[in-house]
Amino acid sequence: MPRNNLVDRLAAALSSLKLTIACLALLMVLVVACTLAQVELGTHLAVERYIRAFIVWWVPEGSAVRVPVFPGGGLLGGLLLLNLIFAQFRRLELSWRKGGLWIMHIGLALLFIGEFATALLQVESNMAIEEGQTKSFSEDYRRMEVVVIDETDKEFDDERGIPDSRLRSSNVITDPSLPFKLIVRAYHDNAALSTRPAGTAPSIITQGVGVGMTYQALPPVTGDNDQNTAVAVVEPVLPDGRSVGVYLLSNALGARQGFMHEGRSWRLALRLRHYQHPFSLTLNDFKHDLYPGTNIPKNFSSLVRLKDPRSADDREVLIYMNSPLRHDGLTFYQASFGKDDTLSVLQVVRNPSWTLPYLSCLLVSLGLLWHFGVMLRKALGARPA
Amino acid sequence: MMTMRSLAGAALPVMAALLLASCGEEQITRARVPKEPLPSAAAPAMGMGGGIEAPSERPRGLVWTLPSGWTEVAGNGIRLATFVPPGGLKTEATVVALPGDSGGELANANRWRGQLGLPPTDEAGMAAARTTVSTKVGTVKIYDFTGEGAVRSRMIAAAVDTGGTTWFFKLMGEAGATQSARAGFLAIIKGLKPDAAK
Repeated sequence: MPRNNLVDRLAAALSSLKLTIACLALLMVLVVACTLAQVELGTHLAVERYIRAFIVWWVPEGSAVRVPVFPGGGLLGGLLLLNLIFAQFRRLELSWRKGGLWIMHIGLALLFIGEFATALLQVESNMAIEEGQTKSFSEDYRRMEVVVIDETDKEFDDERGIPDSRLRSSNVITDPSLPFKLIVRAYHDNAALSTRPAGTAPSIITQGVGVGMTYQALPPVTGDNDQNTAVAVVEPVLPDGRSVGVYLLSNALGARQGFMHEGRSWRLALRLRHYQHPFSLTLNDFKHDLYPGTNIPKNFSSLVRLKDPRSADDREVLIYMNSPLRHDGLTFYQASFGKDDTLSVLQVVRNPSWTLPYLSCLLVSLGLLWHFGVMLRKALGARPA
Repeated sequence: MMTMRSLAGAALPVMAALLLASCGEEQITRARVPKEPLPSAAAPAMGMGGGIEAPSERPRGLVWTLPSGWTEVAGNGIRLATFVPPGGLKTEATVVALPGDSGGELANANRWRGQLGLPPTDEAGMAAARTTVSTKVGTVKIYDFTGEGAVRSRMIAAAVDTGGTTWFFKLMGEAGATQSARAGFLAIIKGLKPDAAK
């Protein structure tokens, strides 16, 4: 096989130590830039734009053009992973003597793969639950949804959640379970609502509490504790083409907005995205312990009752710092509290790859021990008799 | 020993699987969620006798009296209260109070018609659909609209201006159930009184 073919040249480049050094240097710069960017963008947005992205983009003010200015963490991490794999197979012999290095490198590769998987697959949400309250859903504080609810049944609501990504990308929303289509006239991640001044041109909003209101689109908020006021202007259209009217929906509007169709009562709303779970949690007690004689928090804990009808699971669980509840592929962490210690906020995380960092640490440790053992044996064997 | 080509052949599907897992349009979710129980209003005082319950105490400008068998559920936000007729009828009445004329009579009438899927009407059509009832809080205008379709919905809406505030009482639900609850709803409207506690 000719040594200068394209694949070999690519493999040589990808296994180069120079590539390793370059990527690590760029990563160091990226981490500093991301840390500084958090001041303006907030933690989540800075991580999304610098660490989780493949490219860091710059958008000149007043322009819609995006200019690539730096490789993102996704690209650098991907290159380092390829660099590790190619260097491993090109330079490292497969032998017992090098076994420790193999295991260490596999562990490192798993760490990279785990981070990629987390970035792509992890879903985070929160469950704010008061003492005595039972909940079977969690909310995504950074995502919105328009929810179309059939409220006709006296005991159950039949909810359809339309994610914000669909509202941005589609003008017409249809679903086989809906007897009407929803035309999305506008969607804004953040806006300021106000009363429409008298004498202004008629609004397109013809139904609900939005009649007489107006809004102005704003840039999305960036503070970690800030909340967007999302706005959607939607128009349900019946199968025969008749419009029910144009509604203004917002997570800032609490009034019920809806209509009747074929004897069924429909409600429209815009809210934080809900993730329904097939089990429920009841907060029996929230404790906020302080060190005696001080106001320094010692412990936060939530005593919850988990009820899962699928498995007849019915038990009390104490959730506290570093001791989450793991159930049904979800992990519930004690995150925050409020309302004079009667409200507990749990962070709910679904991450199919959560075990990879632990496996990675285990393999790296094993590899180090193996390699140390090999070197020690070699050193002991080389001693003069 | 694994060649570069076979390594690439093994690595690429794994990376592709990860990327595919995160691609694609997000789906519309569907869930059947138990209704959260709303807090009930305090039970009215007993011992009045007859078919009319004692009025609840609420310093809101208007006082209403529910017929026997009707229950009141405390509202939330803009809705002040919900009246539920007896017998599990598929209809209920709501109470909302808004400052001023809230857009005007024709706009309100067309908004109600829109909620039933009816086309808007004009001043003449609105006048033809309007009846009035004299009460102790003034003249109440009442509209009765019935929707179209295989399963018809009906709305009986009442509006009264108490000087600066317009009160809206709206009975809405399945047409037959609304007809059954109509007499009780009109009794509530006719029994409206000023709130002496205000």
